[in-house]
Amino acid sequence: MSQIPFEHKLAAHCESGMLSALLNHKGLRISEPMVLGLTGAIFFVFIKTPHMVFPVFDMRSRPGDMRKNLGKRLGIEFRTQKFRDPLAARASLEALVARGIPTTVQVDMFYMDYIPSYMRVHFNAHFIVVLGKEASDFLVSDCYYPSISRLSQDSLDKARFAKSDFAPKGFQFYVASLPPHGVSDDMLRAAAIKGIKQAASNMVRLPVPFIGIKGMRRFADNIPTWPKIARNMDALSHAIMSIHITLEERGTGGGGFRFMYASFLQEAAKFCNRPEFSDMSKRIMAIGDRWRELSLFVARIGKDRDLGDNRMQEIRQMIRARADEEEAFFRDLLAMVK
Amino acid sequence: MPDTMPPIASPELKMEIKKLILETLKISDVKPEDIDNAASLFENNPVVQLDSVDALEIVMALQRAYGVHIDDQNIGRFIIRSVDSIAEFVAKEKAKANK
Repeated sequence: MSQIPFEHKLAAHCESGMLSALLNHKGLRISEPMVLGLTGAIFFVFIKTPHMVFPVFDMRSRPGDMRKNLGKRLGIEFRTQKFRDPLAARASLEALVARGIPTTVQVDMFYMDYIPSYMRVHFNAHFIVVLGKEASDFLVSDCYYPSISRLSQDSLDKARFAKSDFAPKGFQFYVASLPPHGVSDDMLRAAAIKGIKQAASNMVRLPVPFIGIKGMRRFADNIPTWPKIARNMDALSHAIMSIHITLEERGTGGGGFRFMYASFLQEAAKFCNRPEFSDMSKRIMAIGDRWRELSLFVARIGKDRDLGDNRMQEIRQMIRARADEEEAFFRDLLAMVK
Repeated sequence: MPDTMPPIASPELKMEIKKLILETLKISDVKPEDIDNAASLFENNPVVQLDSVDALEIVMALQRAYGVHIDDQNIGRFIIRSVDSIAEFVAKEKAKANK
């Protein structure tokens, strides 16, 4: 089986990067920031469940939402499948790729053997595009790696059926069709405005205490309680450093997706002919810079085990300051697109 | 020089970058000339071995020193892999800014 010709690129975030690459392959030139922006995926959610010692947070919408919203807003049909049996999943994938269809699979990143071991962690919501098979190796485009790579079928099976949170369960999908008359500039403009409205509304208007700005403040206020619930200093350090990992290490494009959103608004300013989006781009870029400063701060104090109550209060204040800035930003953005 | 020539990362720039790395990370027992320009700063380096937090410190130091913005750590990992790759990136960005 030969490799499907495919334009491989490094990307900031696997879901948006992969979707951009798949659609580019189908002839729809759409950048990674555009995928984030059109789908309204910039977000904040504070997650606390009884089985967690420490709460966590995320800065984007759920995995899968980008694909669904692209489908809805641009009339793109994605065909999705899940499997119980790894061999059936493998056979299906082989058949699609043999027909020349680049197919995305959800995987546990830990099994991507081509990535240097110091970069590999268990993370079940990673997406790669499969492009071919040679002997018992699949050829894959992973936007977290600079070139098309080989992955053994055994490693891919393990990756597709890893257990734990967000278990992939053999999930795969491909682009079945674009709209018959293509995706027009008007459709892209309308989708951009819808995406902006959705993102801004989610951040400032949803009456749900753990989402958006409300969620950000709730998360901030929870942090000073962590020294009391940590079983020891190492556990506390790990929890504090996970803030840094979520903001900068888990493929966010930097600043918790805020830099990528800045790029989207810069693009949208041109193709929507809305110069005011360019000013908003600069604002969210600056906010992203301050999230990055916070990220470095927590990483430093976590590494140094400098985690007294005063430090927890500092983190709380920094996150609350971000919440204030983002509230003003998203309210202004929403007013522009009402 | 023809327009199509890539910008050159000079030995002076590379030395500057090595000094910036050592200063930013407060590494006082290594001299800049001890760092191999081509070697990975993150793996199997006998002189300096950095981690992801160090990587972020370097990214922010480069922004302050040269005005270059590395948005993303995934892509950033390859940019700051070695002194050579950092210098190449900085030289390219400076050339872009001067156009």
